[in-house]
Amino acid sequence: MQPDGKISGLDRFRIMRETRIGSFAPVLLALAAIWAWFGLALPLWDLASGEADSFRAIFLSPRNIYNLFMQSALIATLAVGITTVLLLGEIDLSAAATAGVCAALLGVLVLAGIPGWLACLIVMAIGIVMGAAQGVLVAYVGIPSFVVTLAGLLGYQGLMQKILPTGNLNVGDPFVRGFTRVLIPDTWGLALGMLCILLFAYASLQRQARRRALGLEVDPSPALWGQVLAFGTIVIAVIVTLNAYRSLPLLLVLLVGITSLLGWITTSTPFGRSLFAVGGNAESARRAGFNVNRIRVAAFGIVGLMAAIGGIFGASRFGSVSYTAFAGGSLLLEAIGAAVIGGTSLFGGRGSVWNAILGALLIGSLGNGLDLTGASAADKLMVSGAILILAVAIDALSRRDGSVGQ
Amino acid sequence: MGPESNKVGQSAPPAHLSVRGIQKRFGGVHALRGVDFEVARGEVMALVGDNGAGKSTLMKVLAGAYVADDGQFFLDGTNVSIASPNDAADLGIQIVYQDLALCENLDVAANLSLGSEPVKPGWTILPRILRPLDDLEMEVKAKEAFNKLEVRTLQSVRAKVGGLSGGQRQAIAIARAVGADSTVVMLDEPTAALGVAQTRQVLEVVKRLRETNHAVVYISHNMRDIFNVADRICVLRHGGNVATYQRSETTPDEIVVAMTRGRANEANDAA
Repeated sequence: MQPDGKISGLDRFRIMRETRIGSFAPVLLALAAIWAWFGLALPLWDLASGEADSFRAIFLSPRNIYNLFMQSALIATLAVGITTVLLLGEIDLSAAATAGVCAALLGVLVLAGIPGWLACLIVMAIGIVMGAAQGVLVAYVGIPSFVVTLAGLLGYQGLMQKILPTGNLNVGDPFVRGFTRVLIPDTWGLALGMLCILLFAYASLQRQARRRALGLEVDPSPALWGQVLAFGTIVIAVIVTLNAYRSLPLLLVLLVGITSLLGWITTSTPFGRSLFAVGGNAESARRAGFNVNRIRVAAFGIVGLMAAIGGIFGASRFGSVSYTAFAGGSLLLEAIGAAVIGGTSLFGGRGSVWNAILGALLIGSLGNGLDLTGASAADKLMVSGAILILAVAIDALSRRDGSVGQ
Repeated sequence: MGPESNKVGQSAPPAHLSVRGIQKRFGGVHALRGVDFEVARGEVMALVGDNGAGKSTLMKVLAGAYVADDGQFFLDGTNVSIASPNDAADLGIQIVYQDLALCENLDVAANLSLGSEPVKPGWTILPRILRPLDDLEMEVKAKEAFNKLEVRTLQSVRAKVGGLSGGQRQAIAIARAVGADSTVVMLDEPTAALGVAQTRQVLEVVKRLRETNHAVVYISHNMRDIFNVADRICVLRHGGNVATYQRSETTPDEIVVAMTRGRANEANDAA
């Protein structure tokens, strides 16, 4: 029905974005470009212009990469949560404030002598309630999520100030601090990475074999092995780099674990399918028998949970809870930016939590790189804005459909 | 011919789904005034009428979206009741709405299984919505459905619906209705938004539905399409039956007259 052979560049681009790996390509390329710029181009320029007497790859040094990952982890945790509501076509502006309230509560609870693990569980439950409450307003009362979560942003900011009248509280609890302080020994880290790669390869091959047995279209073998190879290279490279400075921190293992779980839920369960269906066409989803309202509440509950986890991670990393680090700072916009830059559509129905991780890494790299080159805060804001616009433009272009082929 | 001879049931195969004396009021509006309707397996029954004649209301009553105020439903001669969309689905009655209700961001296989996704066996500790999807099973089901309907324009069941043409989307929506073990498939204006070539494809699918022994209810305004696919044509006017015609024994002009003025002799009776 469609005239074959006449596919414009834009169509090609859209088709590529639809594939599993293709959706990672733009953000991976952007990340590579930023790393090449800060890691190679700028040091070489310094060397050539005589400003530096030797090649100094500060940005790509293991120490900086380690810091970069840790800096991005908090943004990534929130971005992963925000991705779930973006899939529905909703937005959550209150995630950072929720994280702030949860972190402040955590600080108060451990100060009151409640054991760290219990305090973490309590704030996670509170995070879910804070998120789901907004979800109820969106789904059952019918207020646009932008307004509900804007009110949530203001209200939760105020709540955080109430909990922390001084605006600052140190968190010394060993359990909470442990998330960032505990390092996985080098060999264990490598073994864990190998295990992940083996599982990935096994799952891919298993799937391929079943496809063949059922007589379905089979992905070409080079593509399959290319995926396994790319996945393996990235995992090993990350672990080796982190080992070269310290070791694999527990925080990153937890972040990847939680993201895997959420990634699996969003792509491979009926619940996840319902998220995409509601994001794509809520009325169709309703007629197909999905309980759209309950799905909305659940998605907002997940953001709340991820925000609470983000609050715990933040408190663990900073060793303190402060108003500016969470609610009052740029965390919220960075997290939403990370989700969108990763390639999750603001219009709903397309995206992935893994893209949010890459987006967070990209935002983190940009901030880190500009800091290292001594750029001013003004420069950072302007570059971040430009990147965000670029990402949304890519989203809008790849969304315009219906005219493919005719 | 007497006034009764053109009514439902003459020289027709035994009805699969039939309704008698359906009444439906919306406040003061008497939308259906004792409508009789029937459709047999392996038959395409066109349902026509001017705007406001009650076609859509009748179809929604059959699909359980509206509850009839009065009237009887028979499936293969057995008295049944249709009070909700689930009742209709349980009886094997499926409806393809005009807007198709597809999710463009999902692929073809996912759309076909939407709302009834197969999950892998086991995992019983998890609630059903968190068990792993069996997406390969979905693809198998989708391929079977398209083979059954002999739809060959779809290259891959893994293509996103957003990139497909109107005719292909209609085929997907029909395949979804058929895939749910349905025996009655109702199509609401399936070719309204389509071009010539795509209309032909959809009509091929409708004919294929007849060959697979489905009872097909086809709502349309387009006389060319109706005379292309329908076996019988049921004309409604002002919420009541005008007549049911065998396609081979009538002409588009006669149908248009019946739609707009009622049956000629009826008009004479009234006069």
